[in-house]
Amino acid sequence: MTPYTGLFDSLGLRAWCDSGAEQRTTPLSMNELIARARGETETPDVSLWDTPFPSLDALNRACPAMPQSRDLTRGLERGFLDVKDTLAIVLDPLTQPLSWMLRTALSGVDAAPWWLMIGLLLLLTWGVARSGRVVALVALSLGGLAFIDHYDYAMQTLAIIFVCAFICVLLGVPLGIAMARSDRLRRAMIPVLDMLQTLPPFVYLIPLIFLFSVTEPKLYGIAIILYAIVPVVRLTDLGIRLVEPEVVEAADAFGMTDRQKLWGVQVPLALPNIMAGVNQTIMMSLAMVVIASLVSAPGLGVLVLRGIRNLELGVGLVAGLGIVVLAILLDRVTKVALQRVNAARKE
Amino acid sequence: MKDTAERAPVKIAIRHLYKIFGPDPLKALEKVREGVDKPTLQAEYGHVLGLNDVNIAMRAGEITVVMGLSGSGKSTLIRHLNRLIEPTAGEITVDGDDVLAASPAQLRQLRRERMSMVFQKFALMPHRTVLENAATALAVRGATRAEQAAEATKWLNRVGLEGYGDSYPHELSGGMQQRVGLARALTSNAEIMLMDEAFSALDPLIRTDMQNLLLDIQRELGKTIVFITHDLDEALKLADHLVILKDGRIVQQGEPQRILLRPNDPYIVNFISDINRARVLRVRSIMRDPGAAPVSEAESVDHNATLEDVICLSDGDTRKTYAVTRDDAAVGVLVMKDLVRALVRSAPAEEDAA
Repeated sequence: MTPYTGLFDSLGLRAWCDSGAEQRTTPLSMNELIARARGETETPDVSLWDTPFPSLDALNRACPAMPQSRDLTRGLERGFLDVKDTLAIVLDPLTQPLSWMLRTALSGVDAAPWWLMIGLLLLLTWGVARSGRVVALVALSLGGLAFIDHYDYAMQTLAIIFVCAFICVLLGVPLGIAMARSDRLRRAMIPVLDMLQTLPPFVYLIPLIFLFSVTEPKLYGIAIILYAIVPVVRLTDLGIRLVEPEVVEAADAFGMTDRQKLWGVQVPLALPNIMAGVNQTIMMSLAMVVIASLVSAPGLGVLVLRGIRNLELGVGLVAGLGIVVLAILLDRVTKVALQRVNAARKE
Repeated sequence: MKDTAERAPVKIAIRHLYKIFGPDPLKALEKVREGVDKPTLQAEYGHVLGLNDVNIAMRAGEITVVMGLSGSGKSTLIRHLNRLIEPTAGEITVDGDDVLAASPAQLRQLRRERMSMVFQKFALMPHRTVLENAATALAVRGATRAEQAAEATKWLNRVGLEGYGDSYPHELSGGMQQRVGLARALTSNAEIMLMDEAFSALDPLIRTDMQNLLLDIQRELGKTIVFITHDLDEALKLADHLVILKDGRIVQQGEPQRILLRPNDPYIVNFISDINRARVLRVRSIMRDPGAAPVSEAESVDHNATLEDVICLSDGDTRKTYAVTRDDAAVGVLVMKDLVRALVRSAPAEEDAA
């Protein structure tokens, strides 16, 4: 006799309930096990104070035909597994270039000699930041990481971030532009972006593991991109919407086509905001690349993971600090580049 | 200023133009046609009446000034001419072509080649140099870099910005920025120039400079200019044809001198009560026909001289009478007593206006 047995009886559903009894083997709760051990066949009447919430499991105990909560998770899993193969047929070729890009980047940084890589990175820094101080900071940090033999790991992490951030910009900027031009798309996209941003990073990995082979780099590539694309989309949309209406009106008054207006006026004027989005996207890629080491992403995250798994305190901490150094580098370089854009386009 | 007899053909014609802002403008339009006024429409029907049965004939080569206080619909009106705002009902033609029937491509062509615009807040592209800004119209049309630079430089020099081509707008003062705005409009070589409160954001002295520059350019190029302002002195200085707008409706329009001498509405009387009439009124507006009175002075006055000029000339003597000339030909007689009378007259002149 469970608290809700009476409920089903009074509703006249007893026959339906019992018809389900055969098919189910309900796992016994601890209380029921204890009761069985004591030789009690019936659970005693429960006082109002102890009445459980009428959850699926509680109702199932009273009426075996009711589904249990674990049926929900199992159903979800079944459903996903059923569509997985079809989904993979579509997604696999679509995302294959990502695997290819990540592999190329990783083998590229692996094959290039250290002096060439560091030289190229310093040149790139100079190209976007035009600041001797920032170049010196980058040289010092990379040199430091290489000195403690973390060069390979750091380069792998950087390679993954570069590829993923590049794809984020490639997809995110056009999406942001489309959102700025269509209120309907914006209304539809904002909940999606909110979800991508608030979903715990680990959760991204679960369905991806089922969809793609763990040996494919795109597995973690997609996780990183989904997580990191949000700021660049949001800030592109915002940046274009913030372009002064007077200037847009002037563009219209001089007969610009939509395309001339977009590339000649709106995007250049939204550039500071877009760059701020790129900065955020890079920082979020870095956060995710560490978590992605759970699904075979190489780089400093692997060392952090080793630190946790094997309780190698020193290894984990040094790798963690290495990530901090990379974060500072990427942030400084992109911020200085952003300032440069701001200074050139100040109103 | 031109005589009414030899007026140029109509360049832009606006007929029965209505603009109503709100969820269901067409329904509100019926109410407006039934005679509901702006405050009632807003309070009872939730629609804002932007323009109410506006009819204006803007003539080629003239400056048509639309004047009104804020909320009178003047900025709305000018944006209808190049369809930055779509009307609720009415008709707009430019050189006989129906602007409202234009396809998007035709409309772009109209905006690129036949109309240019100057904005109150300058609306320059902050990321482009002064030269690139001035060349906007040509760049939009796809002219070569060299053409753009040559034409833009020419007009930048004309508005007094020699050597500023490589600066960025934010490096210039407000007055200079608006000169860039003016150069940008001139570079398009459009026959029509729309000026939306173009000088309102400038200091008084710079504003006067810009007005004189505009008048110079106008004499030189004979453009058809539509000028929006809330400043009566500016309106009187620039206008060949003055349109006074209130609550989206035209209160009075015509030659500015005529409006000054014969205001037909208490609203306008109120408006013009504060201005210096001696500085604005001109001899031709108050002169009599030649021979209507004996000429007492040897000197003659030009028909376009302001009354202030004549007062200086006469040394304040009200008994004098001058011959009035235009291009050295006598066109009338100025009696100083008429002049003095014109200085104080400002009651609504119903009998004259009729």
